Amino acid sequence: MTTIDRDVSPPGDQRHPDQLHSDLNEIWGNPRGLKALTIVNHTTLGLRFMITGMVFFLIGGMLAMLVRTQLALPDQDFMTPDIYNQVTTMHGTVMMFLFAIPILEGLAIYMIPKMIGARDLVCPRLTSLGYWCYLFGGIIITFSLIIEMAPNSGWFMYTPLSSSEYSPGLGSDFWLLGITFVEISALSAGVELVVSILRTRTQGMALHKMPLFAWYILAMAMMIVLGFPPLILGSILLELERAAGMPFFDVAGGGDPILWQHLFWLFGHPEVYIIFLPAAGIVSTLIPVFAGRPIVGYGWVVFAIITTGFISFGLWVHHMFTVGIPQLAQAFFSAASMLVAVPTAIQVFVWLATLWLGKPKMKLPMLWIVGFLVIFVCGGLTGVMLALVPFNWQVHDTHFVVAHMHYVLVGGMFFPLIAGLYYWLPLFSGRMPSETLGKWGFWLTFIGFNTTFLIMHWTGLLGMPRRVYSYEPGMGWDITNLISSVGGFIMSAGIAMVLLDMALHFRFGKPAKTNPWHSDGLEWANRMPPSAYNFVSLPNIETRHPLWDDPELPRTIAEGQHGLAVATHGRREMWGTDPLTGKVREIIHLPGNSWWPLFAAMALAVVCLSLLTRLYPLAAIAVVIAVLFLLRWSWENGAHPKAAPDAQVAPGDPPLHSRTMDGPGLWAMSITMLANGSFFLSYLFGWFYLWTVSPGWRMPDESPLSLVGLLVAGGVLTLGAGILEKQVHGLRQKRDAGLAIGMFGISALGFVQVGITLWVLLSAELAVTESSHDAIIMVGLAYALLHGGLGAVLALLQGLRVGFGYVGAHAPFEPAVVAQLWRYNVATFWIIVGALAVLPRVIGS
Amino acid sequence: MAIAIQRLHLTHPLHFVIGLTLWSAWFVTVYGGHAVACEVIPPDPEQGVFTLVNAMLLVVSLAAVGLLAMLTVGCYRMGKRHEGRLRFNARVSAGLYLFSTLGVLFAAMPILGIPPCL
Repeated sequence: MTTIDRDVSPPGDQRHPDQLHSDLNEIWGNPRGLKALTIVNHTTLGLRFMITGMVFFLIGGMLAMLVRTQLALPDQDFMTPDIYNQVTTMHGTVMMFLFAIPILEGLAIYMIPKMIGARDLVCPRLTSLGYWCYLFGGIIITFSLIIEMAPNSGWFMYTPLSSSEYSPGLGSDFWLLGITFVEISALSAGVELVVSILRTRTQGMALHKMPLFAWYILAMAMMIVLGFPPLILGSILLELERAAGMPFFDVAGGGDPILWQHLFWLFGHPEVYIIFLPAAGIVSTLIPVFAGRPIVGYGWVVFAIITTGFISFGLWVHHMFTVGIPQLAQAFFSAASMLVAVPTAIQVFVWLATLWLGKPKMKLPMLWIVGFLVIFVCGGLTGVMLALVPFNWQVHDTHFVVAHMHYVLVGGMFFPLIAGLYYWLPLFSGRMPSETLGKWGFWLTFIGFNTTFLIMHWTGLLGMPRRVYSYEPGMGWDITNLISSVGGFIMSAGIAMVLLDMALHFRFGKPAKTNPWHSDGLEWANRMPPSAYNFVSLPNIETRHPLWDDPELPRTIAEGQHGLAVATHGRREMWGTDPLTGKVREIIHLPGNSWWPLFAAMALAVVCLSLLTRLYPLAAIAVVIAVLFLLRWSWENGAHPKAAPDAQVAPGDPPLHSRTMDGPGLWAMSITMLANGSFFLSYLFGWFYLWTVSPGWRMPDESPLSLVGLLVAGGVLTLGAGILEKQVHGLRQKRDAGLAIGMFGISALGFVQVGITLWVLLSAELAVTESSHDAIIMVGLAYALLHGGLGAVLALLQGLRVGFGYVGAHAPFEPAVVAQLWRYNVATFWIIVGALAVLPRVIGS
Repeated sequence: MAIAIQRLHLTHPLHFVIGLTLWSAWFVTVYGGHAVACEVIPPDPEQGVFTLVNAMLLVVSLAAVGLLAMLTVGCYRMGKRHEGRLRFNARVSAGLYLFSTLGVLFAAMPILGIPPCL
């Protein structure tokens, strides 16, 4: 922590704004050289996410051009079938997992604190961990291409094609392990974006005054939190099947390949909206600015965002209409798929009404918005067509679906993204883009895109299946494929021009004026480019259009005329506010730059690589090292000298969050438990699905699990959680007598529970490679063991922290966070006991 | 307890998510219930739509519609009594409950016309 030996400059003191800036820079500024790897600042990491995302976009784009070259003419042998399969699989994988989601997360990481009047995201070290996991995971997956071992089963990795029998190499393993690694990044960003938006908006910014972009990102982040865990579970199960022979998806062993499809699409369909929502957020931000008036129907847009977020989880089976699901069930999903068009249409009409009632200026970002509207509406209409079961059967697995998907994803994500990048470019760099080069880029991309994919609808309707590496002449597909390929190269030229414009503008762009687009958004009250701390002082914002209502805000903020214009304590501080009203509750103090996220991500990369190469002892060692790094990271929190050694605040200011019982860590733990709960529910779905549907399921006559053992373990766990609740209750009353002993005792109970559960697992003598029943029981108990062990270790750590004086009545926050985990552990443990040990005894096979 | 009651108040933004959560719970219930019913009590295909499975799915759907409709009306009325933030919350919640109600009605329509388990 930085300490500045200087008197406090009181808020509103206009004599020393430069001094204040200098002080804040000393505390928040980024180091150079090797230490730049320790940066946790959201501005820098947001840029790193976006730049890395663009690199992966170029890789994915080049793969697309290889595909189009191969398909341009019939009977091409430009690529072998196996290489073609690798290229198409990697094109989809890179674009979806390494470009679309991370770049939008990067934009959100960069923009959200600036829009809501905060100085950083609420868990800066988590941002850093997320970035490194994304980078290392992305490199691992991409490396598979170089060694010609890339996954080749399609980007959705359907079993049994992706299973070891039909994909014996390392390709599927690269995908499963690499994507799971990258998903740590997505989940990290999801958790902290939710908490940041809810708890760190500036003073006065009530929920109904929040920028619409923040609403969109809130929905996206919650969808990531709930939507990614099913795929993580699926990837773990498939990797266990491939590496250890556990037959989750193998019919002969009692598994079912359709389970993979369910788990994948439980993630996969919300994923489309995870990508679309932030892009729509860009549209809802830009259209009012260029129309010169507030958006028509703010409440309608909020309604549409929430509806889209929910309904998108009820559509996954429309990707599986041809697998033999009963007609009535298909009809449910067909209806739900049509329902989702309603909120989307509401947004389109809101945008059109805003343009209609305003005076639109067709600047460069607006060109891309108009392109979006045209393409996305077409994609949405073909989406409604695909929701109809008979039509879906007709065009299933044809190029029609490929064309629809690109209309939705490129139209719905890429066009708004470029609009947003052009719009915020002056903020990133302080310079304006070239209108001429930018317009050329737009028109080439727009024409190229439609030439490629509009025509591709016909190719699909003429019956060309997707994922074929070549076709014979005379099938009627020759000319349409050639046109699509030409269009693809035109589009590439357009994108190259856009990237050239963006690259050149850093050197040759005209310097931007303050608030160059005459926007209403608070982000334009930052310097251009922004400082590491965003705002010198944190304003009171009670309007949806801060810069339209008070154009002087950039100046008064920079002069330190608003809140928290103090830096002499050396802490990185910002407001912690009420999620509903925006009233200030506490001062949140953030950790500074740190090596731990990088070290933890490196250890996790070793885990990933050693699992790939089947070096299991090395993987185990790396897991232990990663856990040690993460625990060491968690040590520097709360009242630790590196976080906030004393609780001194300026007179009249609220307390530091670590001295309250409701800091952001509590919220972060709750949101993490939501993700965990989604994983657990997916596991339960898998258990009941195999039990009821799998044709080869074999339930033994007698459960192999000791019910007595499980009941004792559950009792011990519940007792520990009860004692912890009592300790937390005492801390709320400012009592901490016996806290350390209590935490050690709770930890001991946690380890006893782990020991008994382990005994139950070992004594069950499960045949995990022969029966999916035994394999899935093993996974359930391993889950309980992992959580029990984590709860015990964290309680032990709390006991130690009490001893060091970092936790107690003066800093009561952390045991309440640990208690959340224990509550979750108790609930899931008893559900596991009920589902795995009691229900089979009651119902039988 | 006081916090729980406060959060159940119809002007609390928690209602932004309750309606669609109920819709999701209904959706999972009819989809999952249909699958389980087909395993446990598969009806004779000759019965058409007049089966116990359809009847049970319909009852569950009507119950969901009733509950969601009540909440729609409650939020709508509450919105009229308040101004500013609380009015905004109640109005958006009313819209979301209405959408959820109509969503159940729309997605449940096939129960009236399609036999189960085929």
